[in-house]
Amino acid sequence: MSSVNAQWRSLEELMQDPDFVSRVEQEFPMLGAALSAPRDRRQALTLMAASLALAGAGLSGCDGAPEGHLIPAVRMPSGVVPGMPDYYSSAHVEGGYAAGTVVKHFMGRPIKVEGNPFHPASLGATSPIAQAELLDFYDPRRAWGMTQANLPRSRSALEQALGEQRDKLAATGGAGFVILTGASTSPTLAAQFDALRKSYPQIRWLHWEAVGRENAEKGVALAYGGRFELKPLLQDADVILAIDSDLLSAAPGHLRLAREFAARRNPTRAKMNRLYAIEATPSLTGAVADERFIAGPRETRRILLALAAALLGGAPVEGPPWLDRIVSDLRANRGRAFIHLGPDHAPQAHALVLAMNEALGGRQAVYTLLDAVTHASSDDSLSLASLVTDMRAGQVSSLLIIDSNPVYAAPGALNFAEALGRVEFSLCLSATPNETTAAALWAAPMIHPWEGWSDARAFDGTASVMQPQALPLYQGVEPYHVLGLLLRPDPPPALDLVRQTWNDRLGGAVGDAWIDALAQGVIPNSASPVSNRPLRDDAARAALPEPSSAATILLFRPDPYLLDGRYADNPWLQELPRPLSKISWGNPLLISPRRARELSLANGDVVRITLDGAHVTTPIVITPGQSDDCVVALLGFGRRHAGPVGRNIGVDFFELMGRSCAAPDIQKTGATEELAGTQHHAAMFDESGVYARSGALSQFLADPGFVRRSDEPQPSFYEWKPEGPAAWGMSIDLNACIGCGACVVACQAENNIPVVGKAEVLREREMYWLRIDRYYDGPPESPKVNFQPVLCMHCEEAPCEPVCPVGATMHDAEGLNVMVYNRCIGTRFCSNNCPYKVRRFNYFDFAGEERRAIESRNPEVTVRARGVMEKCTFCLQRIAAARIVADRDGETASAVVTACEAACPTQAFTFGDLAAKGSEVAARRAGPLSYALLADQNTKPRVTYEAHIFNVDKPEETQK
Amino acid sequence: MGSVFRPAANLWASLALLLLSLTLVAFSLLVWFWPHGDAARGVNWAPAQPVPFSHQHHVSGLGIDCRYCHTAVEVSTNAGMPPTYTCMSCHSQIWTNAALLEPVRNSLKDDRPLAWRRITDVPDFVYFDHSIHIAKGVGCSSCHGDVADMALTYKAKSLTMQFCLDCHRDPGPRLQPKDKIYDTRWRRDATTPAPDVLLAQYGVPERNLTDCSICHR
Repeated sequence: MSSVNAQWRSLEELMQDPDFVSRVEQEFPMLGAALSAPRDRRQALTLMAASLALAGAGLSGCDGAPEGHLIPAVRMPSGVVPGMPDYYSSAHVEGGYAAGTVVKHFMGRPIKVEGNPFHPASLGATSPIAQAELLDFYDPRRAWGMTQANLPRSRSALEQALGEQRDKLAATGGAGFVILTGASTSPTLAAQFDALRKSYPQIRWLHWEAVGRENAEKGVALAYGGRFELKPLLQDADVILAIDSDLLSAAPGHLRLAREFAARRNPTRAKMNRLYAIEATPSLTGAVADERFIAGPRETRRILLALAAALLGGAPVEGPPWLDRIVSDLRANRGRAFIHLGPDHAPQAHALVLAMNEALGGRQAVYTLLDAVTHASSDDSLSLASLVTDMRAGQVSSLLIIDSNPVYAAPGALNFAEALGRVEFSLCLSATPNETTAAALWAAPMIHPWEGWSDARAFDGTASVMQPQALPLYQGVEPYHVLGLLLRPDPPPALDLVRQTWNDRLGGAVGDAWIDALAQGVIPNSASPVSNRPLRDDAARAALPEPSSAATILLFRPDPYLLDGRYADNPWLQELPRPLSKISWGNPLLISPRRARELSLANGDVVRITLDGAHVTTPIVITPGQSDDCVVALLGFGRRHAGPVGRNIGVDFFELMGRSCAAPDIQKTGATEELAGTQHHAAMFDESGVYARSGALSQFLADPGFVRRSDEPQPSFYEWKPEGPAAWGMSIDLNACIGCGACVVACQAENNIPVVGKAEVLREREMYWLRIDRYYDGPPESPKVNFQPVLCMHCEEAPCEPVCPVGATMHDAEGLNVMVYNRCIGTRFCSNNCPYKVRRFNYFDFAGEERRAIESRNPEVTVRARGVMEKCTFCLQRIAAARIVADRDGETASAVVTACEAACPTQAFTFGDLAAKGSEVAARRAGPLSYALLADQNTKPRVTYEAHIFNVDKPEETQK
Repeated sequence: MGSVFRPAANLWASLALLLLSLTLVAFSLLVWFWPHGDAARGVNWAPAQPVPFSHQHHVSGLGIDCRYCHTAVEVSTNAGMPPTYTCMSCHSQIWTNAALLEPVRNSLKDDRPLAWRRITDVPDFVYFDHSIHIAKGVGCSSCHGDVADMALTYKAKSLTMQFCLDCHRDPGPRLQPKDKIYDTRWRRDATTPAPDVLLAQYGVPERNLTDCSICHR
């Protein structure tokens, strides 16, 4: 790496730190360390003898006579064909909102989650979390029993205790009884709460999320005077302004929003929209924005006021100089402009933005107002803070906590655990033991959502019935059962309750309507009606709260994958590199380059933050593009009472939450911690220093082929002819990629890719077949971001093949670069010779060491042993399945969809047969923006990219 | 002092050395070839089963089609093993008290599946699909031998990679006419269409059947 890359992956690279440069130049950076360890002749001979003996044992241990048993069912379940997958609809619920999924089964065992194309919030895509739910389902930690005061009790003892509560409820009319649960959209749960209130009028319930959208909901209430849901319609939005927004990554319906947004990002296919982002800390929305402006928490208030003055009229407020451009662009696109504000802003700010949206005239065109989808708590005045006050005051005698972990995730200032100790009867229902189950009087294992009947609604209100994917694996309790026991001793099963809810729509008996709803995963025409509620006159008049005057403000954000810590035990989500920091297994404090310089901090330096008497120590990571006015703490880590995966990984920042807004005191401790960041792993090298090519729309309009370089291989003299009946290829649209990571987890689930843990990530041994490279472009204070998914390029002239001494990596007639695991002897020559650095070596028996149910693996893909190389196969198992069906049934092959392509919310991947007529992938490859990565190596990759175009020019130039 | 060894010792020493080297060679050959041999692969070996099921009786004697029990063979990767219910569809009427069938009745009564010993298997990194072979004219006997003649089921072919490749390199001569796929006694004879004709008839595609990716994933 001799020249400075125009695009850089990390600050060390930008600064050309000599240690760093010498390290990333090596293919196997840890080899040097291993070789420098002291060793002697005896040890060398011992190792040689051992390896010879093991090799001998391995050879003679080659498979001999068949072993094992064939165990047919006693009675074959109907519809199950041995050896073939089955699919059942379900939904992934996040913050109450459902996104439809389809669970793939083999012989009754769930092995993979796919999106549900019929579901409006999924459209066939999934989030990384939905993919990773598979591991939660099989989590052996779910096998724990009921406890009372942390001692094992029987189920009947719990039912008896609940019986006593029922008697008490009847006597008191529900006074002092509170149910605490997460946000919910389940009509069946709402019906059950209503039934409880009917019997016990004074019973109370609180829907609480540690990182919720309470502010946005309150803002809507301020603006419209009721509970409504805002549904953005991004396909018709020409100009979008996102302020500290999570529009594309976490907002309700974000998968659909990302699809709608990305559909208008490639100028070869559509008229481009334009996205402005104003934010304090980089987010996925900001990363893909055409123009991104950094504004700290204090500045944002002024910007909102300036925007309001410009759009709503009133005394002008001076904003930053660039704001005028945004305002004039918004005004010029009246009716097609939309402003989105992130959930961390105050309700008043949300109301103000809603008023601005009304003034921009986009209602019904770029957003609509729907009747609320989430349920309200029993009374408006009830909040977690008021609940804790009541608990302290002895006004809560019984607390039922369902699927919520307030002891961990409540703001530290509330000291929920101490308040919980004052409650006479507390029961916590949780899938796995956690901080709250340990603190509550009673605790019981809850079923996984895949083990029982339920229902949930999408962000637009569309309802799904969630059917069980399996019988309960670990004897969990259904929440409906516990709530039912409060009403009567023999509550009806959950199925009856769900059937009752949907009786009107789907009929009383099991008929076509019910079966169709289950098969499609959606209940037809169940979306919330569009509301015509006008904006209140005083919507924009509420005063925005003053932000803290401290020099540095501590902001809290949910971790993108662990959320509020509920997925801390999920190894796929722990190891998945965070989209921008590329750090796995940890949550260092995000700090801006300038602030780090002032405090003389480097990546991994440990600091001590003190805020209002509470303190935590945490490593830091310098975050390009962050405001100097704030440091950002990611929540969800530092779980004290979690499984072996999540326990004490990272830092618990909930401790600092809810404290007064006084300035946090940040002191360097002198200690350092290694951060498992992957940004400089698998570094490629190109003379130009540009990997993810990009440009401005004006460049594209002037010369559509501007991304091509003159030194690239010219078209061949010989006509390209596919060797086999198909020629598989892929095109990746960098305009669409938002870096969310869904493809990476989907690939991991589909291809049995093991998790390696923090220590091995630090040794650059993560096993991802598909990685998303994140490149920065420009100054570290405010760089542009480019995401680039990189997988095996299936080069037609593959450099890995000629160097393999045993022919373990070969080419097949359809253009796949295939890996034959049982031939591989682990020389790693192929990896050394791969310019794209996409090959992964099993340094240990990573797959064997995973604490993972064997049943959860994909039986269609070999589980790789220690000492073999592996890499992307283009989902060969899916190709093979399609090939067999086509050859067997004489039909043309159905389209093969790879796992990454299926999961991608923005359809950045297009996979297919380059030789087929009307092939989409061939058309995309021929497009003007198409380019091959490291084209000068003449590897003729079967994967090509479409360069990233930013719509940064004057509005009139955007017209195609 | 006389010599310790007599002249004959030279001969013995040479013979001993020769024997040693022959043993070494033989051992190496054994290590190399044994795993590929039929014995190591369990060919012709019929393990004890929970019920001494006779294919000979059921197929040759009673004329039951393969697909009556192995129902998935035309549509799935697996041929499918019959559930206890399939056995009991007849044996609830005939031989209802036979001692041999005690395990089958118990399976139904206790809802515990029968556990049959595996006879044919391919390694885990090989992905064999029954349906495509059946559809393309590869009969059961190609891999399973003359099952209809087996009193006790045993492994008839080695199922080594060599065995698979022999056919994948040149499938024509081994293809069977459509109506003879399930006839395990079928042999190529004068009336059988020529290999080329069968290849064309089945439309064995222009695929390169020796690509690694055909069987390994």
